[in-house]
Amino acid sequence: MNYRNLSITELHNLLLEDKVTPLELVKEAIKLAKEDDNNAFEYICDEEALKKVESLDSSKKNNLFYGIPVVVKDNFSTKDIPTTASSNILNGYVPIFSAEVVERLEAQGAIVIAKSTLDELAMGGTGTSGHKGTTFNPWDKSKTRLVGGSSCGSAASVAKGIVPFALGSDTGDSVRKPASYAGLVGFKPTWGRISRYGLFPFATSLDHVAYFTRNVSDAAISLNVLAGHDDKDFSSSFKEVPDYSKHLTDSIKGKKIGIIKGVVNSMSDKDIIAVFNKTAEGLKEKGAIVEEVEIDEKLLKAIFPTYVIISCAESTSNNANLDGIKFGARVEGDSFEEVMTNTRTKGFSRLIKRRFVIGAYSLLRENADELFIRAQKCRRLIVDAFNKAFESYDALIAPAAPSVAPEFAHKSDALDNEYLIADNYMAYGNMGGYPSITLPIGFKDKLPFGINLTAKPFDEVNLLNIANAVESVTGLKDLVAEDR
Amino acid sequence: MKKVTKEVLKSNAEKLMFEMSDEDLDLLVNEFGVIQEQMSLIGEIEGVDETTPMTFPFDVTSTFLREDVASEPLDRELALRNAKDVVDGQIRLPKVVK
Amino acid sequence: MEFEAIIGLEIHVEMKTKSKMFSSGPVSFGEDPNTRVNPVDMAFPGTMPTVNKQAVINAIRVSNALHMDIDDTVIFERKNYFYSDLPKGYQITQQFRPIGSNGYLTIETSNGPKKIEIERLHMEEDTCKQLHSWDFSLLDYNRAGIPLIEIVSRPDMRNGEEAAKYVEKIRSIVTFLDVSDGKMEEGSLRCDVNISLREVGATKFGTKVEIKNLNSLNNIQKAIDFEISRQSIILEFGGQIEQETRRFDEGSKETVLMRVKTDAVDYKYFTESNIAPIKLSKEFIEDAIKTSPELAETKLERYKSFGLNDYDSNLLIADHDISNYYDQGVKSGCSPKLLANWIIGDVQSVLNRDCISIKEFKITPENLGKLVLLIESNKVSNKQGRDIFAEMVNTNEDPEAVMNKLGISQVSDEDELRKVIIEILDVNEQSIIDYKNGKGRAIGFIVGQVMKKTQGKANPALANKIILEEIGRR
Repeated sequence: MNYRNLSITELHNLLLEDKVTPLELVKEAIKLAKEDDNNAFEYICDEEALKKVESLDSSKKNNLFYGIPVVVKDNFSTKDIPTTASSNILNGYVPIFSAEVVERLEAQGAIVIAKSTLDELAMGGTGTSGHKGTTFNPWDKSKTRLVGGSSCGSAASVAKGIVPFALGSDTGDSVRKPASYAGLVGFKPTWGRISRYGLFPFATSLDHVAYFTRNVSDAAISLNVLAGHDDKDFSSSFKEVPDYSKHLTDSIKGKKIGIIKGVVNSMSDKDIIAVFNKTAEGLKEKGAIVEEVEIDEKLLKAIFPTYVIISCAESTSNNANLDGIKFGARVEGDSFEEVMTNTRTKGFSRLIKRRFVIGAYSLLRENADELFIRAQKCRRLIVDAFNKAFESYDALIAPAAPSVAPEFAHKSDALDNEYLIADNYMAYGNMGGYPSITLPIGFKDKLPFGINLTAKPFDEVNLLNIANAVESVTGLKDLVAEDR
Repeated sequence: MKKVTKEVLKSNAEKLMFEMSDEDLDLLVNEFGVIQEQMSLIGEIEGVDETTPMTFPFDVTSTFLREDVASEPLDRELALRNAKDVVDGQIRLPKVVK
Repeated sequence: MEFEAIIGLEIHVEMKTKSKMFSSGPVSFGEDPNTRVNPVDMAFPGTMPTVNKQAVINAIRVSNALHMDIDDTVIFERKNYFYSDLPKGYQITQQFRPIGSNGYLTIETSNGPKKIEIERLHMEEDTCKQLHSWDFSLLDYNRAGIPLIEIVSRPDMRNGEEAAKYVEKIRSIVTFLDVSDGKMEEGSLRCDVNISLREVGATKFGTKVEIKNLNSLNNIQKAIDFEISRQSIILEFGGQIEQETRRFDEGSKETVLMRVKTDAVDYKYFTESNIAPIKLSKEFIEDAIKTSPELAETKLERYKSFGLNDYDSNLLIADHDISNYYDQGVKSGCSPKLLANWIIGDVQSVLNRDCISIKEFKITPENLGKLVLLIESNKVSNKQGRDIFAEMVNTNEDPEAVMNKLGISQVSDEDELRKVIIEILDVNEQSIIDYKNGKGRAIGFIVGQVMKKTQGKANPALANKIILEEIGRR
């Protein structure tokens, strides 16, 4: 049987009816993972996964994730399973503990079948900078297009139908952008809604645990498992965890939805905009009030540089523990300084080093006022502007990306002014910690593209409700890039 | 804003404990050009100077503190299993000169 | 030219909490290397800091004792630098909002009391310990993450004596508040001195020299006094003071150069965003202060109210553990004065004899209190008490059990004792005559006879009283 485009709920029902066993599901997923030709995986947990299936407690079979194979981005700590964050500096590192989210999934009976590739240390948006090289977009058989990053392997594995769920992380748009390129639902709940304990930090104040599914309902039920306070993460929220699937199918009549005009105006692909507008019309037909909302263009343009400065600055510090002494690929030297320098020189790619220097330079006392502090000030202006919009709107929407998945030749991670707004605006969701979701709305040249919806902090129930309405307007769900 | 030179960037890289190639330093000087240009535009946004810097995405103030209860320590083998040079239950480094 | 020294101190105090500042890893000293470690302490990727409640309470208590303003929001920054002993590549500290600020302390100097202002008190974490051998260094992460408070004075001190007194007072505060064991020689209280000289009357500060690794009060005083004369000589001869870090050499009793300070290090401080700002309620802060252990001054007042003299009170307070022992013992309800005598006398001599601290002393304060109660209520004599004590020193048995075991019981029944005494007086008429003729010591002979007859169980005071009564009647 082909399980490739089945949702978590559908697989769960098959398991309950004994039409398939966890072992069969996991074996199938591992087989598909091994056949993967998109460079989606750092490590396939062949033996580990089979052992975990054997020790599954069948009294938990009513849990939705019981026996469900999942993929975890390789920047989540996994006990006894190598974890490198796709960086050479962590080659050989085998963590001694699992991330809180991994533990929560496993406690439900989910089986981690593989660790997925990412842009090195999650610091990139192309899926090309990991130490295993480029990850390809499964929708493009010619292998000339990216799937987006940094959660590239997770996106590819769900798009390919290997698993129905994959963990990712989202610091700027690292789940929500690849979701657009891969025809998936990519969801980043509110900052603090999900524990980050065990997620390798990139930029602490912007990092979010996020994930891919193939439909909105799966995104909602997954949050039921992942959300909630964790004593080990002092930034995790104590807010009560509602049932996120309860109001999923409620009517959206009267909901106010704002189209971020400045973002749409910054995009040039008429086909994408046409489909986006049609989707907005569909929401109107369902009773929503859809209007354009104005955000100062200067602030929209400021999102990207602000994001670059803050994320680079925090990343230099967050990755300062990578010195080869306690763990990782140590390179010897005649002094401890040499050990550190040799290790870090050899362990980090060129891109990463440039980012670190940008961050460190921005934090220096003599530069901070014009760089780091200014970026933090601008962050507040940006967030204030969006908060104001959220006073009037239940959700803000725009196309998630200005194009379908680009070809590799046209994309680089060097910093430039191109697509200042269109390609980078989604980082506002990280600056304000807003729940934000991308889902597919159409195809162009057989390649998918998506819409992004964002709501105010902790308003996931409402956001998922509107996202579900979008899904029913487009009818696009459970998409899998078929072998052709 | 003052011009960022290769030398300054090189010294910053050294303080971050890595070496960079000449070529990368050139690329980085260019990138700084872009960043500085964008950041000066931000400096012109009305009200930016008077704004309080923002660290957290929203008000996240809490009252939670961890009770002072010790947990089981790690088994030493486990704690040190990822270190490359271990002697007598300790991680070894070339002599640290104070 | 006459110079004055401008001296400021930075003191690091290692807390004796049960767990670390930012992890639940256990805090304990003297264990095998790397056996008290939690993943957070070794900075494994993905680990996150969690704030120790007791460490915050401790910081509030010390801030309060130093008359500081207490910030009701706890927020941390990262101090970024690379070093072999720094697991994360940054230290979590409180750069911008120390929990305590603007305090002071009054010290007693040979020139009278002096107020020393204190700029700030903040919480941070310790680094890992390095063991240096001749060609390599070994890292032990047991110490990594142990809670520290750093106390920074204003440059208000002028000589070695003042600095030593200041540190002594801080040490007394942190030990009496049960925050730290305050042992300088073991590094649980570390002191860095900043010192500069200027001409008397000048307003500009001179070049600052830092002295590190001062591991006793004595050395602080000596190091500063040496440094003042070293710098004076240089300035006297028109030389210049280099901005440098020096250490005190125990052997030569001199400060020696460690390194010349080049550019000030830029630590690239920014907020630790893994820790959401913590709001301390008014109640929380008040409660921390209200339940705070007593400071030395408060204890002293209390001891005096027990009727102890200054000398004895100070003897008890000089050692925090002994005063804690005493306070425990007083709870048994015995006479505080008598208990103090026992501790200062008998207990102290056992400690001296066996070279042990009060913590290693076998008899619990509760049992010592019970023993004092037995003596107070005349159930045993002082001498019998000593015998019981001698036994308890080895066993910490209940004093009453020891009393029974040794067959000690004092005859305090007046009628019974009077019968014995009358019998003895009847056959010792000569002694009565002697006494009446003014030979007081004749009574001693009679008491001796009573003791012999009662096998030493007679209460001596009572016996004395009855003897005098009975002689009076004859």
